[in-house]
Amino acid sequence: MSAWFSDLTLLGCFLCMVLPIASFGLIMIFTRNNHKLSLAISLLCSTIPLIIAWSLLYKYWDIAEPIVYNYDWILSDFIKIPFGFLLDPTSLLMLTIVATISWLVQIYSIGYMEGDPGFGNYYAFLSLFALSMLGVSISSGLLQLYICWELVGVSSYLLIGFWYEKFSASEAGKKAFVVTRFGDVGFFMGLAILTIFYGNLEIANINSAAVAQSMPPWLISTAALLIFCGVMGKSAQFPLHVWLPDAMEGPTPVSALLHSATMVAAGVFLIARIYPFFSASPEAMAVALAIGTITLLLSSTIGMVATDIKQVWAYSTVSQLGFMIMGLAAGSYFAGYFHLTTHAGFKALLFLCSGVFIHHFGTNDFFVMAAKGGRKLIIPMVTITIAALALSGIFPFSGFFSKEAILGALYHHPNKIWFLMGLLGAFLTAYYTFRVIFVMLFPKNPAPEEQHGHDEPHEEHYGVPWVMSIPLLVLATFTLILGFCQGYLERFLLGHTLHHEHNYLLLVSAVVAALSGIGLAWIDWGSKKAKCVGFISYVPALENFFKEKWYMDHFWRWFLNVFIYGTFSRLFTYNDRRVVDGGVDTVAFSTIGSGRLLSFFQTALLQLNLLFMVVVVAGVGLYLLIGR
Amino acid sequence: MVEHVADFPYLTCMLLAPVVGLTIILFLKEEWHFLIRVVSLSAAAIALGLSIYTFVNYDTALGGLQFVEKYEWVKSFGIYFYVGVDGINAPLLLLTGIVIFTGVLTMWELENRVKEYFAFMLALVTGVFGVFMSMDMFVFFLFYEIAVVPMYILILIWGSTRKIYAAMKLTLYLMAGSGLIIPGILLLYATSGINTFDMIQLHGVHFAPWVQKTAFVLLYFGFGVLAAVWPFHTWSPVGHVAAPTAVSMLHAGVLMKLGAYGILRVAMFLCPDGFQYWAQLMALLAAVGIVYGVFVGLAQTDLKYVIGYSSVSHMGIVGLGLATGTIDGINGSVFQMFAHGVMTALFFSAVGYIYDRTHTRMIYELGGFSKIMPVASGYFIIAALCGAGVPGFASFWAELLVFISAVKVFPVRGLLALASIVIGALFALRVVQKTFYNEPNPKFIHYKDVSPFLGLPRAILVATMVLFGIFPRLMLDLIKSAVVPFVNGL
Repeated sequence: MSAWFSDLTLLGCFLCMVLPIASFGLIMIFTRNNHKLSLAISLLCSTIPLIIAWSLLYKYWDIAEPIVYNYDWILSDFIKIPFGFLLDPTSLLMLTIVATISWLVQIYSIGYMEGDPGFGNYYAFLSLFALSMLGVSISSGLLQLYICWELVGVSSYLLIGFWYEKFSASEAGKKAFVVTRFGDVGFFMGLAILTIFYGNLEIANINSAAVAQSMPPWLISTAALLIFCGVMGKSAQFPLHVWLPDAMEGPTPVSALLHSATMVAAGVFLIARIYPFFSASPEAMAVALAIGTITLLLSSTIGMVATDIKQVWAYSTVSQLGFMIMGLAAGSYFAGYFHLTTHAGFKALLFLCSGVFIHHFGTNDFFVMAAKGGRKLIIPMVTITIAALALSGIFPFSGFFSKEAILGALYHHPNKIWFLMGLLGAFLTAYYTFRVIFVMLFPKNPAPEEQHGHDEPHEEHYGVPWVMSIPLLVLATFTLILGFCQGYLERFLLGHTLHHEHNYLLLVSAVVAALSGIGLAWIDWGSKKAKCVGFISYVPALENFFKEKWYMDHFWRWFLNVFIYGTFSRLFTYNDRRVVDGGVDTVAFSTIGSGRLLSFFQTALLQLNLLFMVVVVAGVGLYLLIGR
Repeated sequence: MVEHVADFPYLTCMLLAPVVGLTIILFLKEEWHFLIRVVSLSAAAIALGLSIYTFVNYDTALGGLQFVEKYEWVKSFGIYFYVGVDGINAPLLLLTGIVIFTGVLTMWELENRVKEYFAFMLALVTGVFGVFMSMDMFVFFLFYEIAVVPMYILILIWGSTRKIYAAMKLTLYLMAGSGLIIPGILLLYATSGINTFDMIQLHGVHFAPWVQKTAFVLLYFGFGVLAAVWPFHTWSPVGHVAAPTAVSMLHAGVLMKLGAYGILRVAMFLCPDGFQYWAQLMALLAAVGIVYGVFVGLAQTDLKYVIGYSSVSHMGIVGLGLATGTIDGINGSVFQMFAHGVMTALFFSAVGYIYDRTHTRMIYELGGFSKIMPVASGYFIIAALCGAGVPGFASFWAELLVFISAVKVFPVRGLLALASIVIGALFALRVVQKTFYNEPNPKFIHYKDVSPFLGLPRAILVATMVLFGIFPRLMLDLIKSAVVPFVNGL
């Protein structure tokens, strides 16, 4: 036990696990109804991990060998599960991202959730989330990672359904949990197969075994594909992406933290975590590339027609996750992970800004926000524009650098179709992002409320509480500077800087794609003469198809109703009632019935009994006489 | 198996605590409700304390059978009062202690025929303790019957929803099961060649293959009825629904484990070859039960039926683990017996509080209970999350061990059963959403939340789940110390 305290790194990792769970437990059991105290506990238990994460990042900036701690958690026979920490650049960076954004969101939520009756619960759930996500970052073994991964799902379920009185919210929470569980079963099967055929599930071990080719290729491919199922669930990849847009029912800070920056990035992180293993399977890489591309295009097109600001960002998140997976699957670990990092910053920023608007105007429709004078909220409007520029991939914002990296990776892929798809995705992303920005910045029809607004006292002010604006400014700063840290991050993550050849074709095509997206958005929504209809509405069939979200929700609903409820559940229930139970009841009742029948003969009437006797004796006598 | 004789008759005391409590209650006046409750609670507390003592003080390094007491009973038939603890029954004794203690607390508000109720409940639990600690086949069976009979009366008098039908069905089913167990036991006794019911000695006898095959299948189905092995499970949801809260807790939490424990301790222990012969069938029935339970549960509208079918499914996991015959599988299986016992007791306890207030368990009539009684609902939601196999609770580890070893031994059945955990999640969350989320039903809005004292039993159960969920080795090392020699003897 003394080792826990003498080794500061170990103590730090340990505290990252213990403090959030302690905070969760304390708040849930004792201080749920005391908002101030709950807040204090939760903030304390998220500030310390933040400090730990940054100091670990600083301490191990030049780390050469990964640091591993392992303790026995379960020792069965061939199933041995260690509990431990693995610190290497991949995990340290994720640890820092998670701790930082989670801390900023906790600060922001002070303003956003103020006065909510469930304030205490909210912070308890955020602590649970922090525990599980920090656990995903620094787990040393895949099974431990899986456990944290499942806990991430639970906290996401609780937070999406936070306003559980709303049917849509409770439904969305359930949907999120079940759909991600769908992928997680695949993940678990992959782990089971790895345990059975390989045994040791330590991440470092698996990676080195795959590199050293000491694992049979079929095993790598099967396991990698099954693990990828988990990624598809958690990172909302086609066809399991349907839960993420619905998850926007949760409070907006939750959407910022879980459903854009960290939780959904866990899937991408998992691939990065086991990248040597994953990339050893060409099949898994090909499937991932295809799924990532489909997801990118599908969700960008849906984002083009959504009118709910959170829906737009949700689909944008789905598409950017697809983009990250494309980068990883195209062979560049750095590109995918770098985009994860920058995306975490600017997407959290987008959501938090939108949260300010939603909080202020009480609506999710950005057309209404624009009409009510959304642009008068100066800080959020400026920061949301910065984030949008980053999302579209405009120099010098962070998104530009990471998108360049991914497009570069796709460009070097032998099949150029992926590169073109990536460009198309970049174009669509810029278009739908700036559709929102231009609508908000240049409202076409003045607010209808303002015309008869003289009934209300004129105390409308556009101030934003500092607890909400500080996180925005911090994230905006990150968005501005992170791109220039590319070289440092390369050296940190890869141990060396990449050789950048100056490929002007690549650079120009990426910039042209982004700028033409913004330009088209300007023509459609921004300029004074804009008709405020998207170019897509010239093809009504296609527009409708996008508005119906490619009918994916319909498909799953149909699948659930027809197969799960309609066929299996009904058939089994019927069978249970009629066949299994009915059979038993029939046996019982026929026993009772035959007893009744027999009791008919057991009357106390002597004459009748005598008659029976005579009849039977006569019958036997007759049989003996004639039968011979 | 190494035996370590007890320096103090802990096990006898554990067995006698409820008996003494019962006797005292019989001499109390019917109206002295409070005193009756206090007496039964103290009896339960003593039993719980002793079960914790044996659990904690069992020396895993030493292994074997500890706290042994052996007295001759009927010499001419070789019947002994022979009790002992090893890694397999220590968790189950602990489970029984926890469930009876929390069960008495849960029924604290009972006003109807309090004296008889607690008397029967203590009688029932005596039987359960007796089964778990007996190492003599005859005494084992004797206690087994003692455990089954009070259930009939408890359901018949204090039950609800078709209670006569349910009580009758349950009892007939279990009697039919006993009807298979007796010939199985006698067959083993008769063919052993040694005049004893001592299971440890019988284990040393190598029975002829036909004896093993016959006896195993008789015992498997006989005990399997109580373990709700598919397709002999239909008594269990009906029984759960009809039984009063604490009886459901004992019934699903402990009594169903008697069946699984019987399969493990008697059938598999004495007929290893028979087990090898029938393992395929066991795995099949277990896997079908797992899948079947969740799908049928999905269509239920009564909260207790839902839990009843989840028990069918979770007991299927126990069966699947046993069928693998591997160390991991049986470890998981025993762990699952414990975990499921605690979880399902929590389920019924939580539902009981709500039912006592609203007098309905229909999912579509309830709704929004998180708003009306947040704490009481919280307990149910925790149980539902356990049921959905969320990590951090004991049941997660058990399922993990069972599923991985099942995939290894029976790949198709294992994967099929594993896939059903998606439906398991849907199943649990559907109930949570419909009952506890959404807008509250105005009819129930004035009900008070559970008080800390009444919430205590549920808090104990949750704490147990979490303790063993975070530190699984506390349980697993103990179980393993018995399972390793057990499997090597298979």
